[in-house]
Amino acid sequence: MKVETHKIARLHAILWGIFSLGGMIAAFLLPVLIYMTAIAYPFSLWPFSGSRDPSFLVTGHLLGALFIFVTIAGSLYHGIFRFQSALTEVGLLKYRRALEAVGYFIIFVGIIVLAYYLVTWYLNGTIT
Amino acid sequence: MEDNERYPELRRRLSPGWWTANRHYTMYMVREWTSLFVALYSLIFIYGLSLWAMDSRADFLNFLKNPAIVGFSLIALVFTMYHAATWFYLLGAIAPVRIGRSRTKPWQALVLNLILLVIISYLAIWLLALR
Repeated sequence: MKVETHKIARLHAILWGIFSLGGMIAAFLLPVLIYMTAIAYPFSLWPFSGSRDPSFLVTGHLLGALFIFVTIAGSLYHGIFRFQSALTEVGLLKYRRALEAVGYFIIFVGIIVLAYYLVTWYLNGTIT
Repeated sequence: MEDNERYPELRRRLSPGWWTANRHYTMYMVREWTSLFVALYSLIFIYGLSLWAMDSRADFLNFLKNPAIVGFSLIALVFTMYHAATWFYLLGAIAPVRIGRSRTKPWQALVLNLILLVIISYLAIWLLALR
């Protein structure tokens, strides 16, 4: 039983570690991505006042694809993890297991789909 | 083993509205709920990429210009900045840096990290969109 408890504690520590990393990513990288895609591009502001558009962020070069993956995957993990945790604090504690299951499912599917698109574009030469 | 035996602190059940009891609790809960916008923006961006993957790049770009998406993203940006500011303040409170005999204050971590955020944002734009 003690070994099992230690394993669970270690898993929790890893998950919270990834959560913290996601928090740093969401804090430092997500604002600039939202600015570029939701303000600069629709309103033709710097840096998209010229001929370039946000698709260049994704496929312009490998660093851009890595930026997109790290920012979106990290933010998704952090956002879902924190939100499902917040739900348990407003009266849904008894549904904790179900909330965790749904949360991790969304995170898993989201990250796999994102990675699939980026790897496919890298392999077929769309990402240069 | 029941959760209540494993984590005794869980025995203290709170009412669903406990966070309205004072301003600090409310701000804490607002901060937690900003994460919903962080998650939703990420999912929306992945959906946009799926439009590109399944149809065309123009669909992805049109999606980004959709007024509803722009409106949501602007709200998400405000909440993301709130998340960033509270996260930086929290970092300063949890892990203060010892300098000589004194320790750094949370507001100092906030200011330093906000400056870092501006530098990182500019570098990201320069590296990814201008080069």
